[in-house]
Amino acid sequence: MTDKGIALMEQTQEKIDHASDSDILISVNHLVKRFPIKGGLFSREIGSVKAVSDVSFKIRKGETLGLVGESGCGKSTLGRCILRLIEPTSGQMVFKGQDITHLGAADLRKLRRNIQIIFQDPYASLNPRMMVEDLLTEPLVIHKIGKSRQERQARILKLLDMCGLRREAMSRYPHEFSGGQRQRICIARALAVEPEFIVCDEPVSALDVSIQAQIVNLLQDLQKELGLTYLFIAHDLKVVEHISTHVAVMYLGKIVEMSTAEDLYNNPKHPYTQALLSAIPMPDPDYRKKRTILKGDVPSPIHPPSGCQFHPRCPVMRERCKVDVPELRGISHPVSCHFAE
Amino acid sequence: MDSRAEFEKILEVKNLKTTFKTEEGTLTAVDDVSFNVYKGKTLGIVGESGCGKSVTSLSIMRLIPHPPGKIAGGEILYRGQDLLKFDASQMRSIRGNEISMIFQEPMTSLNPVFTIGNQIREAIGLHQKLSKTEIRDQAVEMLKLVGIPAPEKRVDDYPHQLSGGMRQRIMIAMALSCNPQILIADEPTTALDVTIQAQILELLKELQQKVGMALILITHDLGVVAEMADEVAVMYAGRIVEQGNVREIFREPKMPYTRGLLNSIPIMNKDPTGKMKKKRLQAIPGIVPDLLHLPQGCRFQERCSYVIPECKQQEPDLRVVASHPLMPHKIRCVRNI
Repeated sequence: MTDKGIALMEQTQEKIDHASDSDILISVNHLVKRFPIKGGLFSREIGSVKAVSDVSFKIRKGETLGLVGESGCGKSTLGRCILRLIEPTSGQMVFKGQDITHLGAADLRKLRRNIQIIFQDPYASLNPRMMVEDLLTEPLVIHKIGKSRQERQARILKLLDMCGLRREAMSRYPHEFSGGQRQRICIARALAVEPEFIVCDEPVSALDVSIQAQIVNLLQDLQKELGLTYLFIAHDLKVVEHISTHVAVMYLGKIVEMSTAEDLYNNPKHPYTQALLSAIPMPDPDYRKKRTILKGDVPSPIHPPSGCQFHPRCPVMRERCKVDVPELRGISHPVSCHFAE
Repeated sequence: MDSRAEFEKILEVKNLKTTFKTEEGTLTAVDDVSFNVYKGKTLGIVGESGCGKSVTSLSIMRLIPHPPGKIAGGEILYRGQDLLKFDASQMRSIRGNEISMIFQEPMTSLNPVFTIGNQIREAIGLHQKLSKTEIRDQAVEMLKLVGIPAPEKRVDDYPHQLSGGMRQRIMIAMALSCNPQILIADEPTTALDVTIQAQILELLKELQQKVGMALILITHDLGVVAEMADEVAVMYAGRIVEQGNVREIFREPKMPYTRGLLNSIPIMNKDPTGKMKKKRLQAIPGIVPDLLHLPQGCRFQERCSYVIPECKQQEPDLRVVASHPLMPHKIRCVRNI
């Protein structure tokens, strides 16, 4: 993306929000993550995958940015880069005015009091040998919160209550809970250190529909109560629309379209976004819409297509798309397509 | 049987009951389930995890591991013959030949050490007396049918060389290779991305029209059911709690559980003026009951907002609330809401 593209993007975002820069909680500029592919003699680097390629966005305090895209588009890698669980290759991340891209270990620990993450699989992200009390005490001990055991315990009780769990849960192990309840424990653990920003990486994808709604409601209530800011990564477009104020669509490591949730869902400009939205099955047997069915699969990010990376699957592809790489440009909102109007 | 060919009943499940022995006692995973499957039509079975929808389909295929599982009662009539009375070799001639099945995870259902051609040929070779070249030709033909590009080359690929969507296509090709009368699809698109899901659903619809098979579609996604099914059965804790033709179920759901499920889905904004009204999702409180410790009375009572004292006394029967020549609307609820 060029600077001009970014300037346009900022303009559009400002137009949408009329808010000042001081509200920006986190901004990501030109973030790139390249994974080397090793092989051959002595594990030489024989290639690389650009999992995240030149991604920029800003999130204001109290807002939720939804990040959607198919599997392998780099949305989870991006989420993990923000927490520095994966070190970005280049680019810059600024949290509350502080550049967090190159923080040292001690500062990074402090940062993680402010930025937390909730993962997709609540079964895999809780230690099966720890009781819920210990699971929730651990972050408090690490960050030296609470002076005495009593104080910590009181805090844990409050957290459990906030996340809709009973106090008996304290002395139980993760396997005694259902999937939805485990996700509540994960949320309670993330909230234990009173973060301002939470990366939610597919937090409801592993749950049943009725439980999904419970967790989505919980996340929204907590956001209102505690003034949290979310980066909400998911492939379920319906849930993303419901919870997000802004939505970014990713394809092969790049953001191809970004706007407010309302604008993006009502007025999608990029052919990929249009196809994604049209592919959602609606719970209404009489709802027959014109569906754009994309041909083929997501291409391998090791050998991404030339020009516009979407061109081999694009229903409105023209000659120029095979050669020229489109940049994010503002129409009514940022879109990276030569022919979107 | 209906005189019109289009409503030919080919499978009739009557009072099916499947149990599993566990250390804590015997639980009934599928309890008194009945439904009909018609030629060329699609029956959608929906429900949350553990409701018995997959066990129902495995029971039809007689694939319930025994022990601990056991089909404890009922009848499964395929063209009038009870499959539960068939011996192992008779069942083998049905499985894959007359009734086929595709599963959720296409990677674990394919053998990683054989080429896909090999695996499709195995299915054809087992059921049809054809020469080697004929079998190979038919395998290629099947790959072409399910929309695999360059099938002559792909037939020699191994499963790991294909993407998730391609693997599911291979599964469908294998399942359809012997022209089955019934295809059971157990969460066929759950592991796939939404764009690939659209491709696979489209393919299933197209093949159904071409081949005229009946489809039993098992899923938790109400959107997929609304799009694909002619008849819907909603399952909860081993029971069918609501059943009827698709329009009836989505227009006028009568059972509080079905309503709850529909209200749990965030509805995409369809308002043309562009004003989005974000309502709070109406989640169903609580969790699914433990099948070993079911409450007395209605199984949904603890989570139901319409509960009355009567619900706690006796489990309601499945009763007809709206008639329909083939797919009457039935609910298992005492209330009229």
